[in-house]
Amino acid sequence: MKTSAQVGLFDRVSAMLEIVNKLPDDMSDEEIEGVLGLLPPDSRQGMGAFFVPRVRKAGNVFLKMIASWFLGAREARREGKKIIIVPFNFPPELIHAFDNANPITSEILSTIGVVALEGQGERYWDMAIGLGLPDHMCSSHTIELGSILGSEDFRPHAIVSSAPGGCDTNAKIHEFVSHYLGVPQFILEKPVDDSDRGREQYSKYYRRLVADLEEFVGEELTYEKLLRVAEKANKCTELCLELWDLHKAVPCPVPNIFSLFTYGVRFAMWGTDEAINTLQVMVDVAKERLGEKAYPAEKEVARALWVYTSYYFDLHNFFNWMEEQGFTHLGDGLDLFFPHHLDTSSRESIIEGMAESSWNMPMTRQVGSESMSVSWTEDVIYACRELNANCAIFCGHHSCKQTWSVASILRNELQKRTGIPMLVLQGDAWIKRMTPMSVVQDQIEEFMRNVVAKKRRTRGRGALATGKS
Amino acid sequence: MSKITELSSVIENEYVRKWKDEGGKVIGYACVATPVEVIEAAGILPYRLVALGNPSMEIADAHLSRFNCSFCRSMLQLGLDGTYDFLDGLIETNGCDHLRGMFENWQYVKPSPFFHYLKVPHITTEDALDYFRVEVRLFKEAMEKHFGVEITGDNLWSAIEKQDKVRDRLRKVLAMRERESPAFTGAEVLSILLLSAVIPSDDFVELADGVIEERGTWRPPDFRARLMLCGSASDEVDLVGEIEGVGGLIVTDALCYGTRAFWKAGKEGDDPVVVLADMYLKELLCPRMYDDYPRRRDYVLSTVERAAVDGVIVMHNKFCDIHGVDNVQLRMDLEKRGVPVLQLEKEYGAKADFGRIRTRVQAFLEKIGDRGKAGDRS
Repeated sequence: MKTSAQVGLFDRVSAMLEIVNKLPDDMSDEEIEGVLGLLPPDSRQGMGAFFVPRVRKAGNVFLKMIASWFLGAREARREGKKIIIVPFNFPPELIHAFDNANPITSEILSTIGVVALEGQGERYWDMAIGLGLPDHMCSSHTIELGSILGSEDFRPHAIVSSAPGGCDTNAKIHEFVSHYLGVPQFILEKPVDDSDRGREQYSKYYRRLVADLEEFVGEELTYEKLLRVAEKANKCTELCLELWDLHKAVPCPVPNIFSLFTYGVRFAMWGTDEAINTLQVMVDVAKERLGEKAYPAEKEVARALWVYTSYYFDLHNFFNWMEEQGFTHLGDGLDLFFPHHLDTSSRESIIEGMAESSWNMPMTRQVGSESMSVSWTEDVIYACRELNANCAIFCGHHSCKQTWSVASILRNELQKRTGIPMLVLQGDAWIKRMTPMSVVQDQIEEFMRNVVAKKRRTRGRGALATGKS
Repeated sequence: MSKITELSSVIENEYVRKWKDEGGKVIGYACVATPVEVIEAAGILPYRLVALGNPSMEIADAHLSRFNCSFCRSMLQLGLDGTYDFLDGLIETNGCDHLRGMFENWQYVKPSPFFHYLKVPHITTEDALDYFRVEVRLFKEAMEKHFGVEITGDNLWSAIEKQDKVRDRLRKVLAMRERESPAFTGAEVLSILLLSAVIPSDDFVELADGVIEERGTWRPPDFRARLMLCGSASDEVDLVGEIEGVGGLIVTDALCYGTRAFWKAGKEGDDPVVVLADMYLKELLCPRMYDDYPRRRDYVLSTVERAAVDGVIVMHNKFCDIHGVDNVQLRMDLEKRGVPVLQLEKEYGAKADFGRIRTRVQAFLEKIGDRGKAGDRS
């Protein structure tokens, strides 16, 4: 008999999502309270973040999209289809284009596990560390991969590794899992080269990957199959850009947690009907709030761009808490994937467009570029200006060696070129052991009240705007 | 040997000073993927950056973070505090995220008169080889343009020949260390290897020939076990000395500043740029190559066999992901074959850590116990 310790993250989350899938779309506060009350404390806290009234509609749709993704992968495996692990910086629409393959994204699995499970992801992290893996690995994927390595979890048939060039820890753990499980690893290297030659090289690598995957899955990616996902990907792009523009309004009508929803869609389901549906609901909610000038606090005190990741081990006390204090989260570095329209005129043009999307995925585009600091800095400054940010925050996830390597350059350049101050935190974004959320909150609040708000008062502009919802 | 030990323990050694006094230029690089022949063919001295156990990082830590490898932080410190002001240029490679950060901060804070970024693929497919061949050519052209020299094919062939001689001497030293009664300690070999990358090749060959002759019949002091040392980039001669001080003689290694640096040799070919590119990328035994673990594993396993090793120490600098993970795979593969393994995580240049490391090594030697072949061999 399996003990609970042996049950893997994927299977435990799937069980939870099966229940979510059965929940009606419109539930009253009492019904929500009743359902959440059945959950153990960590799960209640984590899942509760999706059901706060102002985000409930989108939260519900987002969770159902995730449920469809999880349960779809499980069903696909039963049907004999290939399950392919991809990292967050790989556009999953390529795998969605196959009839006989399903993508599962390491970082999304870890995040949902941290959000939904009692004990969060720590059990699986410990399994990985128990094998001797260093504790400075990145919990974003090591939680899920630890589950695969150390428990009776859902097994992939292959791994796509697209972090070489962008992140050592990500590339290395996927290589390790590939050898440990004895499953093939398909590498998509990002040349650290911004020239035309670098782009051409990346395109070559991408085309090679497509051919290798076709051979592995045993299926040709025809124009029709690619067109099916490309058209949906283009619809996702339109909605995503609309959401980006909605962030510009003051006060910001887009709830903080939509940052997570946006890249949850991007990394897991881009190019599918579920993704379009989720993004459409998010846009509708934001538009409605824009019309009502709704904002959760009396005043929008600060507008912050998180320059790399956010914190995920307590979504409610991170995203929802911030906006209740008047601190808008305009998105983070993972939202900086700059979607574009795919040219659907031919199979070649779609593949070329997907390669371009892949080049622009977060992390790949920034720290995977020729200079780790320049492209990142340019993107952050662009986003800060576009979205009217008046402060920036680096979450300081301990295992992000590449961002930590150049965070001081980013902070200096941001201050010098825009006058925007950047707070540097330290912690583990997926594990609460390193820096508890109460400490993160204290540091954010001190920065907002003592640096950002004071700076605004000094300039005599007062608070940005008022509103309440 | 004492001359080599002395020379390798200072950064701006007497050969570098003489070279500079005579008007020569010196270019710094850190990664073993850098084809030094291109620098040498330009009449410039290639200098492999070291930190030599420097524990100070206060200037560097204003730029890199405590989540970055302390070896890179230590090197950055020396770059920013003026120790490396004798360099006329820097070659960056994308060896790892820490190294990239080190070069980027160095160049941001204190720009070098000549700075070139050599982009090294993480895979060895034909596409990647083609790319790297162009990279090496661009490297050559950048050198020519900045320093106003022409690097001809003959210059490159001559530099390849000179470096082949260096590598030949290093292989001889390695063979002498691996013999039944080792002719060198591990600390001595690390000193020889460090020196080989920081002085003119002709001078090194002369010094190496001397020490090879000197150590012909030398026998090491008593030791308890023959060990192999693998892992992160490190130039810590003192650390190797500490391990040997408790009885674990390092008779071979798979270190970046160690034997991984010299297996390559100039091959036949028409174009020396292509020869160099292929040689450096295909022979790059580094965990930053993500499709090449089986070759690294086989290299370690065959070395264990060849050098009749009793146990293997795999170590990595804290926050070094590429070695930290590779070491786990290596440990598993070695243990599967019955080879005792000690997995160590350490901070670079932290002498306060030596006590802990000694204790771990002593315990490891106890574990090896009677398995050790030292008794049979010394």
